[in-house]
Amino acid sequence: MIGDSSARPEGSRELAQPVAKGERGVIAHWLRSFWLLLQWELRSLRLYVTLAVIVQILLGPGMIVGYGYLIGDVDTFTATYLSTGLGVVSMVTIGLVLAPQLVAQQKLTGTFDYMFSLPVPRTTTIAAALAINCLIALPGLVFALLAASWHFDITFEPSWTLVPAALLTVLTAASIGFAMAHAIPSPQIVGLITQILIFGLLLFSPINFPPERLPSWLASVHEWLPFYHSANAVRSSLTEGMATEVGRSFVVLAAWAVASWIVTALVVGRRR
Amino acid sequence: MEMANDLSIRSGLEIRDLTKRYRSGALANAAIDLHVERGEVFGLLGPNGAGKTTLVKQLIGLLSPTSGSIHLDGVDLVAFPDQARRLCAYLPQGALPIDALEMTEAIELVGRIRGGSRDDVIRRANSLIEDLEIGEWRHTPGHRLSGGVKRLCGFVMAAVWPSRLLILDEPTNDVDPLRRRLLWREIRRLGDAGTTILLVTHNVLEAEQSVDRLAVIDQGVIKACGTSAELKAPSRDSLRLELHLALGGDAKTRVLDSVPHFVADVATLGHRRHVFVSQEAAAEAIRWAQELSASGAIEEYSLSASSLEDVYLAIIGRSDALDGAAGGESS
Repeated sequence: MIGDSSARPEGSRELAQPVAKGERGVIAHWLRSFWLLLQWELRSLRLYVTLAVIVQILLGPGMIVGYGYLIGDVDTFTATYLSTGLGVVSMVTIGLVLAPQLVAQQKLTGTFDYMFSLPVPRTTTIAAALAINCLIALPGLVFALLAASWHFDITFEPSWTLVPAALLTVLTAASIGFAMAHAIPSPQIVGLITQILIFGLLLFSPINFPPERLPSWLASVHEWLPFYHSANAVRSSLTEGMATEVGRSFVVLAAWAVASWIVTALVVGRRR
Repeated sequence: MEMANDLSIRSGLEIRDLTKRYRSGALANAAIDLHVERGEVFGLLGPNGAGKTTLVKQLIGLLSPTSGSIHLDGVDLVAFPDQARRLCAYLPQGALPIDALEMTEAIELVGRIRGGSRDDVIRRANSLIEDLEIGEWRHTPGHRLSGGVKRLCGFVMAAVWPSRLLILDEPTNDVDPLRRRLLWREIRRLGDAGTTILLVTHNVLEAEQSVDRLAVIDQGVIKACGTSAELKAPSRDSLRLELHLALGGDAKTRVLDSVPHFVADVATLGHRRHVFVSQEAAAEAIRWAQELSASGAIEEYSLSASSLEDVYLAIIGRSDALDGAAGGESS
């Protein structure tokens, strides 16, 4: 019954030693922690990730076909505008709705209390979770575009900027979702806010339609919110001449992402 | 290196004048002084809300003390919470987030996160899993593990890679009696190998059998600290007469009404009464108990030396209110 005692942690020489890390050591430690936590998250959420990817694969094309019924026959310009917008909606939904709901649920089950007791930089915990959300969200865009080109018989002209535009869109949305879910103590309130957000996102954000259609005050608010800029950045990477002031869109998105990271870092990083 | 300059700081865990006041104003830890020797198995006992978890969370840097210091083998854990998490392994009292992970997956990943290589971690994990006799659930996902097996899995996750301080919060909750014994053997082995072990519990009986020394914490204050024998010393001459009251009727009243002069103290634990008498009064006490038994007021009785549980209840001074919370029924 007694196992091989040589295989057991023993002997004081083996006990964890305090270390002072150099700069390279810090980076290596961060990367190793990130990689291990990514595996932890992927395996912990394997059912969730699988289902979410399937939902994303269905959601993007579903919205294309559904909106097609809603608006009837459209010209190529409108179809292209709508399709690129819906691809963005499917990605932003993951970050702003599913990500915060998952965080709220993980908070309830004590996940973060446990993860934060492990010897990993807390930024790696957040970074791993953000990476998972990017993984879940990106198929939504790809399949929405595929469905659109088939359904509306249109072609896209993707440029290399599609990769940073799509990544920044997902990252920014998920970062906002995370900051919100970590900063607001009550999971019920988080759930409620995500419902309001999806409503505002679908109907009152100039993602699927040009901002000029909104009342001017709302249009100017959206100049500072990330939603229009996500659509603008992605659209500019898929079309010729349909998007303007793309540089500003990238800057606004990046600013939202960084601001969200700061809020998240302040909330999860402080020792109460 | 952030080692202490203060030469009076000893090896092991050294807590000095530690106070934690939450922003709400609640005082959770009040000027706690505690020293745990390196390799010692040390019990921290106290009722719910006594400040145990607050203390533990300061050790691993999840909470920051209002004042005071914590050193582990000379390393300042308050100033360097990252080091604290490297040097301390922690089994929390609450649920472990391993529902979708197989037991071995969870153990291996945590072992590697704690700094082990894959091969070393797997080797150590296998050894611990065999010793605790939980091998049949090796590939069972967390959500299908029973509460006790999940606790043991959590223990292996904490112990799979060596640490300086192993903090175990109620490690035996829901664990069956056989595996409890195996678990205690593992804990003792880790202590013998040089790991300092802080056991947080409200299970007094188990602590009495398993720890080297213990401290009783209540309302944020360390009320007593020492070996089990030291804590029991003041009540050495006292005997405990345990009366199991007959169920129903006015049995309770009858027993209380007829407490004789030689009874020093009475404690209530559910339908049991603990009556404390001096050694000289032992014969009288037994006669009294036999009378109660004959009258049907009690079902059975026993006389024994005062236990640590009695001392514990006396120390926290709420023996009537606790009603068995000291964990008397646990194993």
